[in-house]
Amino acid sequence: MPVPILKQGEVLIASIQAALTDHDLLQLKDELADKIGRFRSRGVIIDVTALDVMDSFATRTLRGIAATARLRGAQAVVVGIQPDVAIAIVQLGLTLQGVATALDLEEGFEMLRRSMVKDGPQ
Amino acid sequence: MTEQMRVAVSRDADIVTARQLGRELATKAGFSGSDLTLIATAISEVARNIISYADNGEILLGLAARDGRRGVFVVAQDDGPGIPDIDQAMLDGFSTGKSLGLGLPGARRLMDEFEIESEVGRGTTITMRKWCR
Amino acid sequence: MSKSRSALPFRMTEFAPSDIERRLEFVNLGSKDRARIAEIKADVLDHLDEHVAAFFDHLTKFEEARGLTGRPELMEEARRLKREHLVAMVAGDYGREYIDQRFRLGQMYSRAALEVSIFMGAFHDLMTSIGRRIMGHYPTDAIAGFEHFTSLKKVAFFDIAIIVDAMMADREQTIRQQQDAIRELSTPTLQVRDRLLILPIIGLLDTQRAKQLTDSLLHAVRAHRARVVVMDITGVATVDSKVANHLIQTVEAAALMGAAVIVTGVSAEVAQSLVTLGIDLGRITTLGDLQGGLEEAERILGYVVTQAAEVA
Repeated sequence: MPVPILKQGEVLIASIQAALTDHDLLQLKDELADKIGRFRSRGVIIDVTALDVMDSFATRTLRGIAATARLRGAQAVVVGIQPDVAIAIVQLGLTLQGVATALDLEEGFEMLRRSMVKDGPQ
Repeated sequence: MTEQMRVAVSRDADIVTARQLGRELATKAGFSGSDLTLIATAISEVARNIISYADNGEILLGLAARDGRRGVFVVAQDDGPGIPDIDQAMLDGFSTGKSLGLGLPGARRLMDEFEIESEVGRGTTITMRKWCR
Repeated sequence: MSKSRSALPFRMTEFAPSDIERRLEFVNLGSKDRARIAEIKADVLDHLDEHVAAFFDHLTKFEEARGLTGRPELMEEARRLKREHLVAMVAGDYGREYIDQRFRLGQMYSRAALEVSIFMGAFHDLMTSIGRRIMGHYPTDAIAGFEHFTSLKKVAFFDIAIIVDAMMADREQTIRQQQDAIRELSTPTLQVRDRLLILPIIGLLDTQRAKQLTDSLLHAVRAHRARVVVMDITGVATVDSKVANHLIQTVEAAALMGAAVIVTGVSAEVAQSLVTLGIDLGRITTLGDLQGGLEEAERILGYVVTQAAEVA
């Protein structure tokens, strides 16, 4: 099932559902890369609130999405990692290095706002 | 739900099926919230391992009991190329930031018991168990 | 008719007069009984020490009663109370004070870790001793002897009920206190300011508790939308490598949820053992005391705490 991507001004929001397959995630990566370019987005928020499992593939792909976004001039923030999932990620020994994380959509927007203010208008 | 379930694993959608069934089973065994996620994640890793390295395989999920304790067992079997050096495969590849690396060391960390048998050219069988605290 | 109660009274004052009345009805204590008890009163009192000895000699036979029998001061108090108990038993006044006496006995037994099962055995020996004397007073009329003893036995059963109730209530209270203490230690998160949580940790930190702590902390971060957590471990004496790793994992997991964790109160001893264990807390911000941690937290959150201007 493809991940819905919404646009809010200069920010793209991708809301991930629980039954996310590897294929869906890879498709998301491609779509985001495309849309960031097309809309000249400066921020991407990936909401994983509904994701009940984040394994090595998911974290790897999210790191990839963040790197791709950066290359295209946007900052990616992953929001909504749940307590149980956070514990599993850490115990698994995975890392989300290079990916900004925030509690929820509101915090994600706040984080983007602060960094965009820093960068100044483009 | 019967005591044991077999999940064929050949497409990435099967990874989701296996871990969701695993979560349901673990709930029946009486595991707590965070343990459910750990078990589902471990299943995700071994299921992915099958997809990545073999054409197909299967995962057997079931309730376990020992010395009055309840738990779950997961057996992931594939007919892939097998792992030539198991010790090396079980070394942590994550800390060095390698993107390639089997999720097996991670799965082992999440479960209480972890056994791996592999023969080059024959395939791999991974057996994991977790017990309720 | 008194109301039925679901909870055991664990204070003497919770015994209403109607409860006492009801309990006497339960053992069927009537005027005939009281009359008979008055008749054998002297018998019981004449051999007081013998009866008291029967009770405690029985207890000293058993390892399980060492909580009481192994403590001389306690034994002295127990013997004194037992004597008073027997005197009152045949005095005929089974009111407030009587109940209070039995209640205190029950509490004392509970605190000395005396189990109901052992108490019953000792009490039976006590009654046997009394019974022998009473029967001896009626050598030619066994039935009269039996009837007199039976009347006194009603009071004895009345007593047992109160003592056992008191023992159980005391145990329940202890369990409740322990549970409260555990609960307090388990989730002591305090919200101080918007987005700032303080988590003071006191006591022994083992793997199990560390896991609970992680769970509580992360759920509190979500519930309070905290951006900073100050985790104070001043009250933690030792931290082994397993626990240290748990703390590190907690910090990393909180970071995934957008919260920074500042660890304060790392004692010299804990710091030393961490160094010895080769654990690197480098990625975690650690500060000497809670005050320093709070200031750092406020800095992170962008608060500026200004001093009130001095009044000239």
